[in-house]
Amino acid sequence: MSSTFCFFGPEGLKSTEHPIVFIHGTGMDHTVWTMPIRYFLRKKRNVLGIDLPGHGRSKGKLLKTIPAMAEWLINYLDDLKVKEFSLVGHSMGSLIALETAALAQKRANNLVLVGTAFPMAVSDVLLAYAKDNKPEAIEILTFMGYSNQARLGRNTNPGIWMTGSTKKLLEKSGKGVIYQDLKACAEYGSGLESAKKVSANTLLILGKKDFLTPPFKAKDLIKSFNNPEVKEIADSGHTLMIESPNTVLDYLIEVL
Amino acid sequence: MKDPKELKPDTLSLHAGQRPDPTTGARATPIYQTSSFVFDNSEIAAGIFNIERTGHVYSRITNPTNSVLEERISALEGGIGAIATSSGQAAMHLAISTIMDSGSHIIASNCLYGGSHNLLEYTFPRFGIDTTFIDFRDVDLVKKSFKENTRLVFGETLGNPGLDVMDIETISSISHDNGIPLLVDSTFTTPHLMRPFDLGADLIFHSATKFLSGHGVVIGGLLVDSGNFDWDKSGKYPQLTEPYEGFHNMIFTQEFGPAAFISRARKEGARDFGACMSPHTAFLVLQGIETLGLRMDRHVETTLKIVDYLNNHDLVEKVIYPTLPSHPDHMLASKLLVKGCGAVFTFELKGGREAGKAFIENLSIFSHLANVGDAKSLVIQPASTTHHRMDADSLKKAGISEGTIRLSVGLEDYEDLINDLELGLRAAKKISQ
Repeated sequence: MSSTFCFFGPEGLKSTEHPIVFIHGTGMDHTVWTMPIRYFLRKKRNVLGIDLPGHGRSKGKLLKTIPAMAEWLINYLDDLKVKEFSLVGHSMGSLIALETAALAQKRANNLVLVGTAFPMAVSDVLLAYAKDNKPEAIEILTFMGYSNQARLGRNTNPGIWMTGSTKKLLEKSGKGVIYQDLKACAEYGSGLESAKKVSANTLLILGKKDFLTPPFKAKDLIKSFNNPEVKEIADSGHTLMIESPNTVLDYLIEVL
Repeated sequence: MKDPKELKPDTLSLHAGQRPDPTTGARATPIYQTSSFVFDNSEIAAGIFNIERTGHVYSRITNPTNSVLEERISALEGGIGAIATSSGQAAMHLAISTIMDSGSHIIASNCLYGGSHNLLEYTFPRFGIDTTFIDFRDVDLVKKSFKENTRLVFGETLGNPGLDVMDIETISSISHDNGIPLLVDSTFTTPHLMRPFDLGADLIFHSATKFLSGHGVVIGGLLVDSGNFDWDKSGKYPQLTEPYEGFHNMIFTQEFGPAAFISRARKEGARDFGACMSPHTAFLVLQGIETLGLRMDRHVETTLKIVDYLNNHDLVEKVIYPTLPSHPDHMLASKLLVKGCGAVFTFELKGGREAGKAFIENLSIFSHLANVGDAKSLVIQPASTTHHRMDADSLKKAGISEGTIRLSVGLEDYEDLINDLELGLRAAKKISQ
């Protein structure tokens, strides 16, 4: 676990009491969660911005399945002596959060799934590009990761070109990372069973203009949870934390 | 799954960063002529200040009109973000001051705009930042010029005024081998003629005063971050990789990843140095960029005709333009600048300084002034104006003589321009006889 990078904030991890665990999506790292992390730090909450093995600043071998990633996360939290926690995951991270909440039912108090669906289908074309580490994989993920309007920009975060920054983050991922992540998403088959096991308060934040995980593909998942809350953001695509950061934060504040 | 259809440059020039105003329906980018922005409540205010929420605070740091421009230039350059500044000089200063401290060193091309040369040669040394000026064509010299404290390599896509074409692929590769980023002044080429990030540059700045705005009505600059440079791996930039006391011990690479540089440039540089662009200026630059592709193609087309005319004129010693086989970077230009080499070039007039004076004073369409990149054609004699602070040796190294004339070719009818030049040349001929 020493090879794992986790962002705790500038002052480091001060306490392991009920942290909020932020989990990134395919090929990304903890920096996609910087803004909400900064909010909860200001509110004196304990926060863990995880870089999954082989992602961002974390070394270590890539994990090949969503259940393996969830097991790894629970071991990591055990090493930190974390007892109870809340989980926030985006895209692939939402599946890891779901599986973690199912495996550690009594420890996961809150579960927030952002830009999620089950099954999280991945096209053969995209997988083939990713397998060969072709730039087309990143271009497709970037293109499909945003709503049509967001591709024109008008970022609420001044001066940052949204698709450019996402593309750059994906380009910085190591060879094979995107393929392994996409494959793990595509092969994850126990989402509905896991959702039935979850006892945490559950919130799904979905983008109505999401091309990768459109809301209608989350319907079965929503039905499988016990009384989940669902928020849809009208103008957002898949990368909700970038397209609608303030709305996402407001929803996180409500539940966390 | 459909193949992604990325938007093309001509579309991005018109749309990137902007959507119709949701409140008024205004199609054009509104000018948010306000110094500051009202917060919904105290909690929201604290959130924006703490970078946990997006929003605008104060127009020295961000402004919605400027943001459209910043996104637009980022999109056109293939970058991740940008900052609009009060001038091109301010953009250059912001780039350098964001990653350099007293005691650090720059390797720069010896063919620079006079203003850039002044800043590096005379002003930055007062703050402990020294520069070695070298010929970037001498690759071995570039390699040998790195010192322990070198923190930046800097040059222009087309050197001023000799139009030295920078071999960005080679220079960036050498820079990266030394763990140093390459900053490029892309003013003369604009993203329509060249995208330096695609060739390996890490940071770009523009004088938006020139071709981007294109009409000679504003002073402005843009600093663009590619997001490519690995500041952590380099280990030479504590400004980005170590806690910054000026913002609650933030470590920019940890919190912003690829956007570390542009984030620090805004959080510190825009905040503390304050060389911001006015939103009205941003609007005018946006208006210019909307027609960038059309204008640059016309600039280049007319320039080629004028270069051909002058190159065959008895009173002209030589024309310095990279499309000509006589230019030392002709081959490189044909590889890097397939859409053209811009609309600024120099030529040597027979008869020296006095002939040049007569030539300029007898032009009526070309305006004698210190600028380039206007829709109107411009002329100047560098040795007595833009480069007058350089000594004879420096002038020679920069390819400037007393008879050097610099033209910036505008969008007028080319026959009218050639007729105007003919009048000037006739006047010069009388002097030289």
